Amino acid sequence: MPTASLVCEGFRGQAATTAAGLGLPGLPTALVPGHVDVQTVDELRQNVAAVTVDAVIKNLTETIARAGHAVAEPAPADIVFEGDFDEVNRFFYENDWSDGLPIVPPTPERVASFLRWSDRPGETELGVLLPDQRRATVWNVAVNGVMAGCRPEYMPILIALVEAMADPRYGVEHSGNTPGAETLIILNGPLIKELGFNFEQGALRDGVHANTTIGRFWRLYLRNVAGFLHHRTDKGTFGNTWRVVLAENEDALRRIGWSTIAQDEGVSDANAVTISRFTGGGVIASVFGNTPDSMLPYLADSIVRKVGWELMFTVGMGAGSQRPLLLLSPILAETLAKAGLDKAALKQRLFELCRIPAWQFERYVGAWTNLVPGRPTLHALAKDGVIPPVFAESDDPERLVPIVCRAEDLMVAVSGDPLRTNAYAFAHNGILGFPTTKPIRLPAEWSRMLREARSQ
Amino acid sequence: MIGPDGREVYRVVWPRGGKTVQAADVAPRLSSLEGKVIGQLWDDLFRGDEIFPILEEELQRRFPTVRFVRYDTFGSTHGRDEQRVLAELPGRLRQYEVDAVISGMAC
Repeated sequence: MPTASLVCEGFRGQAATTAAGLGLPGLPTALVPGHVDVQTVDELRQNVAAVTVDAVIKNLTETIARAGHAVAEPAPADIVFEGDFDEVNRFFYENDWSDGLPIVPPTPERVASFLRWSDRPGETELGVLLPDQRRATVWNVAVNGVMAGCRPEYMPILIALVEAMADPRYGVEHSGNTPGAETLIILNGPLIKELGFNFEQGALRDGVHANTTIGRFWRLYLRNVAGFLHHRTDKGTFGNTWRVVLAENEDALRRIGWSTIAQDEGVSDANAVTISRFTGGGVIASVFGNTPDSMLPYLADSIVRKVGWELMFTVGMGAGSQRPLLLLSPILAETLAKAGLDKAALKQRLFELCRIPAWQFERYVGAWTNLVPGRPTLHALAKDGVIPPVFAESDDPERLVPIVCRAEDLMVAVSGDPLRTNAYAFAHNGILGFPTTKPIRLPAEWSRMLREARSQ
Repeated sequence: MIGPDGREVYRVVWPRGGKTVQAADVAPRLSSLEGKVIGQLWDDLFRGDEIFPILEEELQRRFPTVRFVRYDTFGSTHGRDEQRVLAELPGRLRQYEVDAVISGMAC
């Protein structure tokens, strides 16, 4: 069926590369000049009438050149280049296959050493990734793992990460959206200690091999297999550097009887990864107090302050998909637990405290951002069943409303310096990177292989 | 391996994955918009609710017999109901005898 796709000026490049990725390189687009959100009603009308209408007519009625022949691409095991370390790095960078840091050359021998750490053959398909519609396989997981500087024994984690990336619930296709959110990987299970992940002081800092290289792997894989590239499919206005893996402090969790993030997300396997995209976050320093009543108002206030336009994921597009994350240092978690709070009770208390006036909420998603069509009131959305009744308990614009739909939408993790009273709040990207947890499958001979690898 | 000049030489493989779709031609275009039915698809973002009425008005002026099926008939193509809306789309387009589609907003 003939189509015309309305594309603002800044998105023409992304439209072209995405269309090619989807197999329709000739897909026509109709330009909407500039960015519509900064135009007056008259300017918008003039631009659409003068430029867009003609383009729409052309899109729908004029013959479009044929797609042409696809360029042949290498087979997985093909040697694509031979050279020394610098030459390989230059070749990969010039082909957009590298992030700019030196890569470890992915030789067949190194790739094979990674494949040993999975019981699944290299050609096993883990999913198909948008926007390039490329096949994610155990083989190309190994290739990108080598390049990122990972160790072979990280393979089970890398595979689980790609399974999560390919899960439609996560929404990898949104990874190039303009707010430039970055994925946080959270690791749970005995692998944290077996592979030497940092889960204490500096938990979010680069510098520990496993945390750092697996974080880098994530973005290399997004680049090389999903196909997210600067100035093309990645439209992050500012973007972020990739995050290192966050490993939870499971010793602390066990001591206080709290569940892990993976368990909270419904995966009870011994080892698991959870991925979620966060638009940003910030530290909550020097939490003072020894009771929930003295500590929680400050924590709740900080969570609220990190969330602004992201409230559209509470009430607008993907309503109910807003999942902020509170990261507590062990001493804070232990203090709250000592006062009798389990995780569910903590989330309920935070749900009651993380509130803002209804008029302010409506301003974030209406007057200031125009992110909910028609700028409906919270009352109207609650009446239509889009959001729970808690958003419309009175007509008072000063009434306090929550920032998420349910207490369980708040996520709580424990890591970082065990003896500092600091926390960290992450603002979430809603449906565009929804929390997704996958179990990590170890090879049958895991224990023996790890023992042997350690002895070498 | 070591090259003839004593440098260590690496033979390296491709880091990407095979494409799962082949490039295809887009559908044949219409000879004119006169008498045709145009479906509107919107992702509920970036002033589509203002832009589609302008397009309607201007296209109607140039092609008086063109008709439109509005975006709210189909539902939002982005967000909570995205997968359902897209799955239902072929049937809905047939149901409303749509000849062509205008889709927005990429912004």
